[in-house]
Amino acid sequence: MNYPVWYVPTFGGGLLIALIAIVHVFVSHFAVGGGLYLVMTEWKGIREQDQSIMAFVKKHTRFFLLLTMVFGGLTGVAIWFVISLIHPAATSLLIHTFVFGWAAEWVFFLVEIVALFIYFYTFGRMDDRTHQTIGWIYFGAAWMSLFLINGIIDFMLTPGAWLVSHDFWSGFFNPTFWPSLFFRSFMSFMLAGCYGFITATFLKDEQTRHKMIRYSGTWALISLALSVPSGWWYISVLPEKARGLVAGASPTISRAATVAAFSLAALTAVVIIMILLDPKKARIRMLTVVAMIAAMGYMGAFEWTREAARRPYVINEVMYSNGVLRQDVERINQEGFLKNAKWVQNKEVTQANQLEAGRELFLHQCFACHTVGGFNNDIIGRTKNMSYGAMQKYLATIHEKRYFMPPFVGNENELKSLAAYLAAGLHKKPLTEEVITVGGRGKSLFEDNCAPCHAAEVLKPKMAGWSKEKIRASLDKLPALNPAMPDYSAPVADKDAMTGYLHSLNNMGSAAAPPKEQGATLFDDNCAPCHSFDVLKPKVSGWSKAKIRTSLDKLSALNPGMPDFTGSSAEKDSLADYMVNQTGGAK
Amino acid sequence: MNPASLIPTADTLTAHWGWFHFLLMLTFPLHLFAMNAMLGTALSAFICHLRPAHPYRDLSHELAKALPFMVAFTINLGVAPLLFVNVLYGHLLYTSTVLMGLFWLAVVPLLIIAYYLAYVYDFSFEKLGNKAAYAVLAVLLLLMSVGFIFSNNMTMMISPASWLRWFATPGGTLLNLADPALLPRYLHMMTGSLAVGGLCVALYSSTVLKHNSAVAKAGTKLGMQLFTWLTVLQVLVGSWFLLTLPGEVMKRFMGNNMFSTGLLVTGILLAVATIISGYRHKVVATLLLTIPLVYVMAFMRDSVRGGYLAPYFDVTKVPANMQWSPLIFFLVTLVLGLVVIVWMLSKLPAFRKS
Repeated sequence: MNYPVWYVPTFGGGLLIALIAIVHVFVSHFAVGGGLYLVMTEWKGIREQDQSIMAFVKKHTRFFLLLTMVFGGLTGVAIWFVISLIHPAATSLLIHTFVFGWAAEWVFFLVEIVALFIYFYTFGRMDDRTHQTIGWIYFGAAWMSLFLINGIIDFMLTPGAWLVSHDFWSGFFNPTFWPSLFFRSFMSFMLAGCYGFITATFLKDEQTRHKMIRYSGTWALISLALSVPSGWWYISVLPEKARGLVAGASPTISRAATVAAFSLAALTAVVIIMILLDPKKARIRMLTVVAMIAAMGYMGAFEWTREAARRPYVINEVMYSNGVLRQDVERINQEGFLKNAKWVQNKEVTQANQLEAGRELFLHQCFACHTVGGFNNDIIGRTKNMSYGAMQKYLATIHEKRYFMPPFVGNENELKSLAAYLAAGLHKKPLTEEVITVGGRGKSLFEDNCAPCHAAEVLKPKMAGWSKEKIRASLDKLPALNPAMPDYSAPVADKDAMTGYLHSLNNMGSAAAPPKEQGATLFDDNCAPCHSFDVLKPKVSGWSKAKIRTSLDKLSALNPGMPDFTGSSAEKDSLADYMVNQTGGAK
Repeated sequence: MNPASLIPTADTLTAHWGWFHFLLMLTFPLHLFAMNAMLGTALSAFICHLRPAHPYRDLSHELAKALPFMVAFTINLGVAPLLFVNVLYGHLLYTSTVLMGLFWLAVVPLLIIAYYLAYVYDFSFEKLGNKAAYAVLAVLLLLMSVGFIFSNNMTMMISPASWLRWFATPGGTLLNLADPALLPRYLHMMTGSLAVGGLCVALYSSTVLKHNSAVAKAGTKLGMQLFTWLTVLQVLVGSWFLLTLPGEVMKRFMGNNMFSTGLLVTGILLAVATIISGYRHKVVATLLLTIPLVYVMAFMRDSVRGGYLAPYFDVTKVPANMQWSPLIFFLVTLVLGLVVIVWMLSKLPAFRKS
């Protein structure tokens, strides 16, 4: 709201940041771990007086210089550029808070450049001791860069005591600082081993090639093993909300976790194969490619998870992903968002500008994460099932329903205006206040509660063959079905109505059928939460109506875990009628 | 709509604004020196390819070896001033960055291509043969196009009146082409850079390359010629730039502001002195005059920014919440870093790159 928005509807900023960031970390961590790898490998060569190892180190240094200094350095600049484009408010806050941290990092960057140039250009032309010292200086400076950037990045996830003190150091040494530092260090050493494969693969002498592949593999394997507990430590110190997202409440993190698991397994397997076997050149190259892809998958999944775990914030507990400060929300809700936004033309919502004001609200509150008909989080796909009314209800409780979405910020008129833009502006849907009730109350409840994530036609095949009981029981335990789904805490009658609608998706006749018999409703309300009829049916098969009716008077006697049925006598008769009809027992 | 209403609220500083201004004005000229040396090296190397005589071929090869260093240090030394500009003027810079997002992001691939081409030019100099001239020309043009993008951003960030265009064109495709001062400013910057770059080539040739007297002589002559004639041209371009500035900004240099006027007078005097010493091929004397000249130019540029922003923003009014320890940490790191760099360089001369 304080800044203009770079509006490229089909290519949202989040994806762009992720792409550049993942590529950058893949090289920049190599720039750190590779420094230690170079100096340690050179030491091995000196110790063993092995010229072939020294030749390998020199060759690898050239590759290292060209990759890390040019590509690594400039993609680092690219991250800075792209975050200031996509999240200018957050970038400004970070720069202002940690300016001297960045400035110190620049000094280490300068030391790195000088040291690496000297290390490369004096290879074989400087005494070993001094050359090794230059190498250690490079690694020290590179690791200090990691140390500094690590503090700032983790501040975004866990600002910790800074929230109260606003002190540089309390923000820097935040709760995830140390586990992250260990994890990233081990990742950087692991990557150094993987990148070592690349140079080693091209060695002409077979013996040296095998030696350096085994050496690099050992590096990668030990570091990879150490990265796992430090990653676990990292997750364990996350705040409760973030841990909930990592545990499965965020669909995007669930996908990243799957990628991480497969990548870790593949990488471990490939590295062990590289160490144990003596593969031929062609096979080594193929395995090296697999190792690099798996390493990138592991690293990328971690970065993706870290970014997603702080949602709905860009700086946790401080600033939402759309640049709105949490401390301002209450005030803006009173005063209105548009009145407080600098880069809008419509300062308040009127009948005439409703859609245009809604578009501006979308741009400043939603576009940070949602594209319009684009690759990532497409808003058109996400809202196509929702009517104007459903959209309003959804926006009003969006943060409560889905924690990782920021709350809508603004007054009631603005909320309606945004809903109007999403429903009518994007989908040409009518702007009627009442939710369309064709299909009954169940459908309207579905639109309000489920449609934001699930299109009915997508859900339909998934529930093919489901009985009403099963559907009804599922509505009581949605998070157990999928951790990303919030609990549906609605009155029993609402759940029943939605059950009817969902069941009708695969049973066309039932939607238009007359209201269901009382016994069915009673069963759904009182028995279905624990017993699906499919399971119960064989147990009561052959029971007469009288036996069922009698049992309904003494449920707790049948099973101490069952509560007694507290309905009237007439209701018990109806329920017994229904059950005996379903099981075909004697009436 | 009043453009002033679009200016984002500036965030609180963590030190007095003077610290950031000091660090900005200290480090920006360092970036300029590296950038000038980089452009001058590329231009001189290209000119060498047009002169088939023996020392020029060797000179271009020597310059090819130096070019990647120049690119690396230009980028590194650009980070510090850009950081301090972010602190003092970030709310303005980010705004113009969003307006020209597509071009701003293009800086990175342009630099990556130029940087790798510089390495190709260095490592494959012999193999490239006559194509080497095209490689270094491409490096030069790519780097100069990056300069043009920077000129656009640096002028657009101080011109809130031009920001209104975002409402019609929010896709990050705006440049500041309608500003009459843009082109002369860019040419002023490039002319000066190439001139000082020529001086750097002369310095490099007369010191590092002195073991090969023919190459050293050719490099010194070429560098000083470039410096002198481009500085003469700069007097014209600089005057054009001055005349295209908005009235209030121009008047700062015409007596309305004594400090700015003093800077202009000092700048002109130093420029004239460098032309004389340059014409006489006095490398060290010209260098000693050029270093303060570049600092004077940087302060004049700062004054232009202040003039443009005067109706909208006063950097001295931004609230500050002083935190000493991070500042001290940075200063200590800087000193230690420089000590380590000096130590490393001290180990270098006997093992210079052949």
